Amino acid sequence: MKSYLDLVPISAKVHKRQNTMSVFCIVLAVFLVTTIFGMADMFIRSQIMQARMEDGNWHVMIRNINEEQAALISARAEVTASSWYGVLNYRGDQGYTVLGKNVIVMGSDKDWIMKMQTQDIRDGAFPKNDYEAMVTENAKTRLGLQIGDSISVHGPDGTGYEFTISGFTKNAAKTMKEDSYAVCLTTQAFRSLYPGVSNGQPAQYNSIFFVQFSAHSNIRSTIADMKSQLGLSDEQVSENTKLLGLLGQSGNSFMMQIYSSAAVLFLLVLLAGIMMIASSLNSNVAQRTEFFGMMRCIGATPKQLMRFVRKEALGWCKFAIPSGISSGAVIIWILCALLRFLSPEYFAEMPIFGISLPSIIAGICVGILTVLLAARSPAKRAASVSPLAAVSGNANSLQPVRKAANTTLFKIDTALGFHHAKASRKNFILMVGSFSLSIILFLGFSVTIDFMQHSLTPLKPWTPDLSIVSPDNTCSVPSSTLEKLKENPAVKQVYGRMFAYNVPITVNGQEKKVDLISYEENQFGWAKNFLLDGSLNAVQQENNTGLIVFEPQNTIKTGDTVSLHIGEQMAEIKIVGSLSSSPFNNAPDVGTMICSENTFRQLTGETDYTIIDLKLSKNAAEADVDEIHRTVGMNFTFSDERSGNRSVIGSYYSFGLFIYGFMALIALITIFNIVNSIAMSVSSRMKQYGAFRAIGLSNRQLINMIVAEASAYAITGCIFGCVIGLLLNKFLYAKLVTSHWGEQWNVPFIQMAIIITIVLLSVILAVRGPVKRICDMSIADTISAQ
Amino acid sequence: MEILEVRHLSKIYGKGENQVNALKDVSFTLEQGEFAAVVGESGSGKSTLLNCIGALDTPTAGNIYMDGNDLFSMKEEQRTIFRRRNIGFVFQSFQLVAELTVEQNIMFPILLDYRKPDQSAVNEILEVLGLSERRHHLPGQLSGGQQQRVAIGRALITRPKLILADEPTGNLDSKNSQDVIDLLVRASRLYQQTILMITHNNHLTTSVDRVLRVSDGVLTDLGGKENEKLS
Repeated sequence: MKSYLDLVPISAKVHKRQNTMSVFCIVLAVFLVTTIFGMADMFIRSQIMQARMEDGNWHVMIRNINEEQAALISARAEVTASSWYGVLNYRGDQGYTVLGKNVIVMGSDKDWIMKMQTQDIRDGAFPKNDYEAMVTENAKTRLGLQIGDSISVHGPDGTGYEFTISGFTKNAAKTMKEDSYAVCLTTQAFRSLYPGVSNGQPAQYNSIFFVQFSAHSNIRSTIADMKSQLGLSDEQVSENTKLLGLLGQSGNSFMMQIYSSAAVLFLLVLLAGIMMIASSLNSNVAQRTEFFGMMRCIGATPKQLMRFVRKEALGWCKFAIPSGISSGAVIIWILCALLRFLSPEYFAEMPIFGISLPSIIAGICVGILTVLLAARSPAKRAASVSPLAAVSGNANSLQPVRKAANTTLFKIDTALGFHHAKASRKNFILMVGSFSLSIILFLGFSVTIDFMQHSLTPLKPWTPDLSIVSPDNTCSVPSSTLEKLKENPAVKQVYGRMFAYNVPITVNGQEKKVDLISYEENQFGWAKNFLLDGSLNAVQQENNTGLIVFEPQNTIKTGDTVSLHIGEQMAEIKIVGSLSSSPFNNAPDVGTMICSENTFRQLTGETDYTIIDLKLSKNAAEADVDEIHRTVGMNFTFSDERSGNRSVIGSYYSFGLFIYGFMALIALITIFNIVNSIAMSVSSRMKQYGAFRAIGLSNRQLINMIVAEASAYAITGCIFGCVIGLLLNKFLYAKLVTSHWGEQWNVPFIQMAIIITIVLLSVILAVRGPVKRICDMSIADTISAQ
Repeated sequence: MEILEVRHLSKIYGKGENQVNALKDVSFTLEQGEFAAVVGESGSGKSTLLNCIGALDTPTAGNIYMDGNDLFSMKEEQRTIFRRRNIGFVFQSFQLVAELTVEQNIMFPILLDYRKPDQSAVNEILEVLGLSERRHHLPGQLSGGQQQRVAIGRALITRPKLILADEPTGNLDSKNSQDVIDLLVRASRLYQQTILMITHNNHLTTSVDRVLRVSDGVLTDLGGKENEKLS
């Protein structure tokens, strides 16, 4: 031994058990911070990936500017890419076609495709001149096109525009759903075929200027500077709010609300980490009053003791911080792997062993700084231990007692348990604080679930992968097609619907209109959850019965009889039930009525479908889809919704995975923290429990005593946690949900019940271990326990 | 009347090379009202003997009968209740409950039994111990001698058949030590209680009826007062 501080490792060996608990606490705190920060980092990365892929990698779009202004913007040092972008026939109503199919005509500069769209080019290159065009991949497969082939785009007036194919772009969800193509031209070529304008300003060609800034520049101030320099109004400049928000560069007020909410949540995580470590160190030092008294006795100065405690605490960090960080990193890797597995299309670029630097830095800072800060007070306490304490008989008493326990209200064991809990005010505050922080964190983070449910619409069970739609919305898709598709092994489910639009009806003497829609078994099955009253069996089994979809202005009720006027015929339908909603849109003054296929056929005489929906089996390949398309033929709109569905699933998975991950992590930390805190508290009173047992405290009474102590922390923690947690929940709800969607806050009873149950179960779990340990020890050993 | 019977008691700690025979085939009995002292060197096995008799530790072999009941044939819960009703403890370091007042500490074993303490009995003990004025004080507010008197009061309150005292004067000065011994003697005479006390202090054995010596785990009955024997 060269220095008195060399005693630290020797002492660590003797107090291995208490030290293990402290180290575990630091590991937990660092793990919590690293994982939550890392998850947030990976979440933002995944969202940026998705945002770039779906909406493009641009930051602002500017309307109504001229070429000079555009050139000035492009010349700015902060701008990494810029492009004009214009589109024709976007809604399919301007009459541009390729071989009879609708085509969306886009005109842009090279930067749009090469820098602002992710993985857009599948083959070939951007048009080198105004006679070249890129087309979507679906045109390649369906029309058998190759690079170098010619393609003719027909305008609404029948004029044909010939282009040579320079490459193929990725199919867009929109073109797949609408069964249309898209061609991408140079800006010049686009403007030359734009109807009714020649030598006009960009705005006349419906051209918008898109700009991408350097990720390292201050985008907000650049936008402000650009606006003032060119005199651009707020209406002219629109931000890509989602992407800028994720990059932390948005000035959008809703994004600011999200930032402030995230800041509050992360401050709470830091506080939880600090609280856990402080509570652990406090308890650890408290247990060794005798040891520190002895040190003072043999000549250690208070300063030396403070150094001793600090060195000891930093020594724990050597193991605890790398362990916390590495276990956090492993959790993040697992989540990233899950994300890649669940939604490979979007998250294939997610690193398998990604390192999140912010989370590691946060973990190290929280570990070292918290340990140093948290060690200050126990160190002071250790330094203030009187040398007398070491030699007096009460050296092992934990705290000077000021007030006697109240043994009149409760039985002695319970009374002492409660008294132990509140014997040291500081310890009580730290314990209650750490219990309540878990609840506050849980209630705070649970708002993000509401946020997710509002911002994302999950895929409904009835969402099809493919739809075969009658182009004129009549019952023209042959029912034989449905039978044929049923036999296709690539098809998991296939079901059709017949539509009769704007059918005049008379009900209760009033004349109205309804859209009559037929359902079959599957669709009636999904409607079950929306049934307000009546019976689905009746409508399925009895002819001339129907369901009405609820709408506030609709007066038709279950039990009414409705007269339908179809053609020259009139038929009566009995309403046997009502649904709260349906997946269809209808005109404001037109109701929606659902009936069985039999009823529909009897009423209308139609036998074929308006829409056939298909769900593909898991292993269905692209070739299977092409095969189905061939089976169906070119006379119907072949709507491929898989890409859009994948986008919804991707967003939902990434959001859900991280948000539920946060919640699970907080729940897990709550359990660990409570178990460890109680174990430490019990350890610190081991000798005392031994003496109690010697005097005659039975094991059952010992359990009562420890349960009473743990309950005092848990109940007080739950009360404080719930009160502050609810206030935080309300505050965050107002910021994240009410401000954007207007929905009012309600008390989150379910989340409260979940976290309180977790806390109470943790307490039970926490008490079991130490009690069993004490009961297994002989009383003589308990009294002399270190 | 025989209160305590120790029969062929052995206690072994550790295994193999580290094995220590703390008690080797110890047998003796104590009569009601008898005040016995156990003397011996440090590490001789005195405390182990006391811990086994008080059922604070489990012997490796042998039996302990208290008023005819085999302590180690009872279940843990049953033994605990038996102990708190029939055995009183006085420790060297007092082991008072810091959170309870003098009066509550004395009542503690009764409270553990979920019984209502007899206030007159508590008052009597406080009177005997000279602690009436200090009944509402916390242990931290008392001197070492006073704390040990509280511990004796706690051991007496249930009128146990046996009081085990492990170096009860170890932390006290000579004046306080003699006071504590006098108290124990008075209790033994007054309440006809059997007392087994461990001590290092040969002077204190002058007050006891019988002296037992433990050396290397072997017990020797020295009969009457040790000083008399030695002299």
